[in-house]
Amino acid sequence: MKKRLAFLLAAGMVLSLTACGTSTDKTTDSDAEQTDMAYVQEKGTLVVGITDFAPMDYKDDDGEWVGFDADMAKAFAEELGVEIEFVEIDWDNKVMELDGKTIDCVWNGMTLTDEVTSAMECSNAYCNNAQIVIVPVDVADQYQDVDSLSGLTFAVEAGSAGKEEVDALGLKYTEVKAQSDALMEVKAGTSDAAVIDSLMAAAMVGEGTGYADLTYTVGLSSEEYGVGFRKGSDLAAALNDFFAKSYADGSMLEIAEQYGVQAAIIEQ
Amino acid sequence: MELFLEQLPIVIRSLNVGFLQTLKLFFVTLIGACPLGLIIALGSMSRFRPLSFVTKTFVWIIRGTPLMIQLLIIYYFPGLVLKNPIWGSGETGRFVAASVAFIINYACYFSEIYRGGIQGVPVGQEEAGLVLGMTKSQIFFKITLLQMIKRIVPPMSNEIITLVKDTSLARIIALQEIIWAGQAFLKGSQGISGAIWPLFFTAFYYLLCTGLLTILFGRIEDKLSYFK
Amino acid sequence: MSILEVEHISKSFEDTKVLKDISFSLEKGQALSIIGSSGSGKTTLLRCLNFLEQPDAGIIRVNNEVLFNAADPSTMQESQIRKKRLHFGLVFQSFNLFPQYTALQNVMLAKELLAKEQPDYKARKKEIHDAIEAQAETLLKQMGLADRMTNYPHQLSGGQCQRVAIARALALHPDILCFDEPTSALDPELTGEVLKVIKELADQNTTMVIVTHEMAFARDVADHVIFMDDGIILEQGEPSELFENPKEERTKQFLSRFTQG
Repeated sequence: MKKRLAFLLAAGMVLSLTACGTSTDKTTDSDAEQTDMAYVQEKGTLVVGITDFAPMDYKDDDGEWVGFDADMAKAFAEELGVEIEFVEIDWDNKVMELDGKTIDCVWNGMTLTDEVTSAMECSNAYCNNAQIVIVPVDVADQYQDVDSLSGLTFAVEAGSAGKEEVDALGLKYTEVKAQSDALMEVKAGTSDAAVIDSLMAAAMVGEGTGYADLTYTVGLSSEEYGVGFRKGSDLAAALNDFFAKSYADGSMLEIAEQYGVQAAIIEQ
Repeated sequence: MELFLEQLPIVIRSLNVGFLQTLKLFFVTLIGACPLGLIIALGSMSRFRPLSFVTKTFVWIIRGTPLMIQLLIIYYFPGLVLKNPIWGSGETGRFVAASVAFIINYACYFSEIYRGGIQGVPVGQEEAGLVLGMTKSQIFFKITLLQMIKRIVPPMSNEIITLVKDTSLARIIALQEIIWAGQAFLKGSQGISGAIWPLFFTAFYYLLCTGLLTILFGRIEDKLSYFK
Repeated sequence: MSILEVEHISKSFEDTKVLKDISFSLEKGQALSIIGSSGSGKTTLLRCLNFLEQPDAGIIRVNNEVLFNAADPSTMQESQIRKKRLHFGLVFQSFNLFPQYTALQNVMLAKELLAKEQPDYKARKKEIHDAIEAQAETLLKQMGLADRMTNYPHQLSGGQCQRVAIARALALHPDILCFDEPTSALDPELTGEVLKVIKELADQNTTMVIVTHEMAFARDVADHVIFMDDGIILEQGEPSELFENPKEERTKQFLSRFTQG
C-alpha cells in the first residue's frame, strides 16, 4: 500500500512538472508575437554584452564603461528611450547569452564572420579592422611578407577571424581562448607568432604597453565589425537607421575621434 | 620594475574585488551545501525505496557530470528553453545562479561523505545505548554524532579545499571572480594590458585561503584525535 | 519464585525461523548458561530479552510483570520499552564501549542521563553526580581496573574493555544481566580475566543469562544449563546432569566436540 502510494506520488510529480512545462510553452507562444524592440522597450533596458576590449569597450577611471562601442551603444539606447546596462560576458557564450535573453546585443568590436552572421541578426558593418601578424621585435625584420611566415607556429584565438586566415594560408597554429592569450603565447615563447585584430594591436602592442617587446608586421586580411542581435530581431534594422543618421550628422565620427578609430569607420 | 610597482596597487585592488567574489561564492556554497547534503544523505538512506532511488539517481547525475556544464545549464537553460531568463543579466543574477549550481553540486558530494560517516558508526554503538535505557536522541547527540564528525572531517576538509579552487569555474557564466580579474589584465583593463603576472599572482590568494583551511581542519582533527 | 519467565517465544527473519516456541524460567540469584552451536538462536533469544529484536509470538515476564506479549500491542510502545529494557543488562561480544569516553565516563553516562529525568535533579546536581561517580569507581575497582579509569577504550586491552562493559551494565542495577558470548572476541590469554569476573558475580548471586562457547566455564558457573539447537531448547537441566549424562543424541554430539578438542 505504501509503495503504491509512493508511485502515485511520483507519477503526480512527473505530471505536474509536464503541466508546468506546457503552461510556460503557452506563455512563450504569446511572447513570440512580441517584437524584440517591443520586448526591450517594455522592460526599459537594453542589455549590452561586452568584454573588456579597448578602445571599443573598457572602464574609465571612475569605473564607467566607455569606448567607441560603449558610447555608440549609449546613444542608441537613448534613441530607443531605454536605459543601458553593460554586462561582461564570456565571449565563447555570446550566442547563448543572446538566445537566453540574458543580454540583448553583442556590441564589442565583433568581426562579421560567417559564424557570427549565421547565428545572430547583425547590423551593417561600421568599422574596418585587419588581421595582423605579431612577432617579437628582435626578429621582426625576417617576417615582413606572407611568404616568410611558413615556418612559424601561430597562436590564434579559437573561432576568430585570425584563425580563419592562418587556416586558409595553411600555416601551423595553436588555438587559444582569447586574443590576449595569443599575445601571451608569443611573449612566453610557446608560439612564434600570433594573429590578432589591428585595432587591438594598436592598443596593446609596442612601446609603452605591456607587450613592448612585441610588434606587428604583415597584414593578412581586412574585415569589418558589426553589432549582433538575437536571430530575427528588428533591432538590427533600427540600429542600421541609427548608424545612418549619426554618420550623416557627424556625431559618429565625433565619438570615433575621441578613441582614435576615426580612420577605420565605414561610411553608412 | 618601475612599471611593475606602478601596476601593483591597481592589480591588487582589482584582484581583491575578484577574490571577495570568490570568497562570497565559497561561503554561500558551504552554508547551503552542508545542510542540503544532510537532507540528501538521509534521503538516499531512506528505507522508503522510491525516495532513496530518486535521491541516488539525482546524486549520480550531479556527480557524474562536470560542474561547468551544470553552471551553463542552470544559468542559460531557463532563458534558452523555458524562454524565461529568471536569473537576469546582471552580476547578482549570475552570482545567484552560480551559487545554486555550486550548492547542488557540493551538497551531492557532501551527502556521500555524510552517508559514509553515518553508516561508518557501528550499529553496536546504538544498541549499547539502547540497552542502557537511552533515548534515540540521547544516543545521537551523546554517542554517535561525535563519532560521525570524526569520520567525516578528513574527507570534508578535502572537499572544501577543492571547493575553494572550483569557484574559478563560475567564470564560465561570467561571474567575475579572481581568475577573471587576473585575466582581465592580459587583454587590457584599467590602462594595463598584456600583463601576465596578475593571472599567476592569483595563485597566492588560493594558497593563502587553502593554507588557512588546512590549519583549521588540522586543528579539528587534532581535537578529535583523543579517541579512535 | 521465578524472576524471569519466557513463554512460547518465536522469531523469524524473512523465511527463516530462528526461534521456535522457546519457554524457560530463571530463579532470582541464579545463573543460566545457554549453549549450542552457531546459528542455533542463542544470541537472538538474548536480543529478544533486551528488546533489540521483537518476537513474533510469546510472552516475557519479569517479577510477574508482563514486559512483552506479542498478542498485546500495548506492551510494545516505544516509550515504555525504554524503561522495560532497564530490567535487563547486556554485555556484548564486541564490548561496544563508547570510544569518545573514558572507562569511568562509559560507566557513568547512562546513569547520569537517567538522573536528569529526576524532578529534583537541578537542585541536587552535584550530590547526584558525586554519588554516580563514586558508584562507578567502586564498580571499576571491583573489576580490577582501579588504575584504568581515565583511559579511553582504545588504550585498553580487549579483556579490560570487556570488564569496563560489565561495570557499565552493572551500574544500572539490572534484575538480570545478560552476556552474549563475552569472551569470543578476546585472545585466549585474555578470556580468563573476564571469566573470573563473571564467576565472582555468580558467587555474589547475581541473576545472569550467559550465552557462551566456554563449556568448562558454563558448567562451573551455571546453576542451570540450556542446550539450544536449530531454534528450540533441545535439552536443559543441572550442569552436572546435562554435561555428564546428556539424553539427546544431538547434545552428545555437540559436547563431544568440546571434550575432544
